Amino acid sequence: MTETYIHGIGMTKFGTLSESSMKDLLLDACAEALKDAGRPKVDAVFIGNFMGGSISNQEILGAIVANDLGLGYIPTAKVEGACASGGIALRQGILGILSGEYDTVLVAGVEKMKHASTADVTQAINAAMDTTTNEKSAGLTFPGFFGVLANRYFNETGATKEHLARVALKNRENALNNPLAQFQKPATLEEIMNARMITEPLGLFDCSPMTDGAAAIVISRKKSPIHIRATAQVSGPTKMQDAKNLLSIPAIGESGRIAYEKAGIGPEDIDVVEIHDCFSMTEIIAIEELGFFPRLEGWRAVEEGRTKVTGDKPVNTSGGLLSRGHPIGATGIAQVYQLVRQLRGNAANQVENAKIALAQNLGGTGSYSTVHILERV
Amino acid sequence: MKIYSCCGNESVTKKYFCPECGGSEFEEKEVSDSGTIYSFTKIHVAPTEFAELAPYNVVLVDLDEADCKVTARMLNDVSIGDHVTLDRIENGAYIYRTI
Repeated sequence: MTETYIHGIGMTKFGTLSESSMKDLLLDACAEALKDAGRPKVDAVFIGNFMGGSISNQEILGAIVANDLGLGYIPTAKVEGACASGGIALRQGILGILSGEYDTVLVAGVEKMKHASTADVTQAINAAMDTTTNEKSAGLTFPGFFGVLANRYFNETGATKEHLARVALKNRENALNNPLAQFQKPATLEEIMNARMITEPLGLFDCSPMTDGAAAIVISRKKSPIHIRATAQVSGPTKMQDAKNLLSIPAIGESGRIAYEKAGIGPEDIDVVEIHDCFSMTEIIAIEELGFFPRLEGWRAVEEGRTKVTGDKPVNTSGGLLSRGHPIGATGIAQVYQLVRQLRGNAANQVENAKIALAQNLGGTGSYSTVHILERV
Repeated sequence: MKIYSCCGNESVTKKYFCPECGGSEFEEKEVSDSGTIYSFTKIHVAPTEFAELAPYNVVLVDLDEADCKVTARMLNDVSIGDHVTLDRIENGAYIYRTI
């Protein structure tokens, strides 16, 4: 249990935001979260960001936020953990409060990607793998890892490309009701199945997009109706060839196990979930790793509609990374934004009477995972 | 293919310390490059440095003589279970071919 509470949330529209700089997006989300929290005195700032340096040539994001928002002479830092940068930034904020050093912390995440070419972004994202190995030299890409995983999953289960497509379709349908989501055009199962290949068997709709966007939250030791019941983080294998079992991403399972233990609850107690569907395949692995469904049977839950908003375990009511969008450093914070809306009762795709929510944020090909459990109190 | 092992853990990558026992004594042994395709993907969208090779296959090979896997590139299409072996090493990459 943590004695930390969420007081404010802010989020920009996700998508192609060519009129805004990375800094504009970051400041917009932070200002909204601070206003939502009632403009508290902030003791520290943590920013999740992955490719600001390589793609936008912009670092010192923490100091920029403190300076441009007039927060005073306070400690700030950027946190990098690939696609889990946001989740890890949140955890650092919580730990800062638990240590007794801070009362109130502003945590945000941002990424600006759409101005760069797909090849250059793919290259930059490859920094989230161990680039010194024979694996990188072989030409393995980040999506490629999940393609290899998917082909093996198909081989060992009854799952097919249609099950991946059903994940993508569900998340697209959820995004249609979320005005902040990147994709708001309906798609059909057929269109998803027949889209151009990125890395077989993953097609365009199976892969999260490049996105501009930012999200922010204000956390404090002072009480609010949204309690952060647990925070957990672990690291896992950084190379595909080192995976003991390719169909398991131990970082997800272990971060979930620790979070449940700290919260004193189990997967059956969770009402609504945001998980890291960087690829449709990843969502299926994650719902297994987090204990919502048995191992190698996540595809059946998808087939039965159990992860839809109307199902018994609603997953990615925001549209997920696949359709809400995936501005890398912002994703972990955007997940929490959606869950706070769910617990406040004013979310897109509101789950009736949601009380306990779980966010899982993944970095690399299983290199990092964070899990946060929130509760309405 | 060179394999590093300790406590029954075998790997093609050398580590500083054994994840099981914490020891730093790894047995090194040379095993056959041959193995079977555990899984694969055909990459159509590649990063800048591999763009001119695309589409190409990246495969995970289960080695015949060791309890570990190695990631490699193949030019021909494959299926899970195909028997493959090392053709050459090119810019640090293992290039495999079907036997």
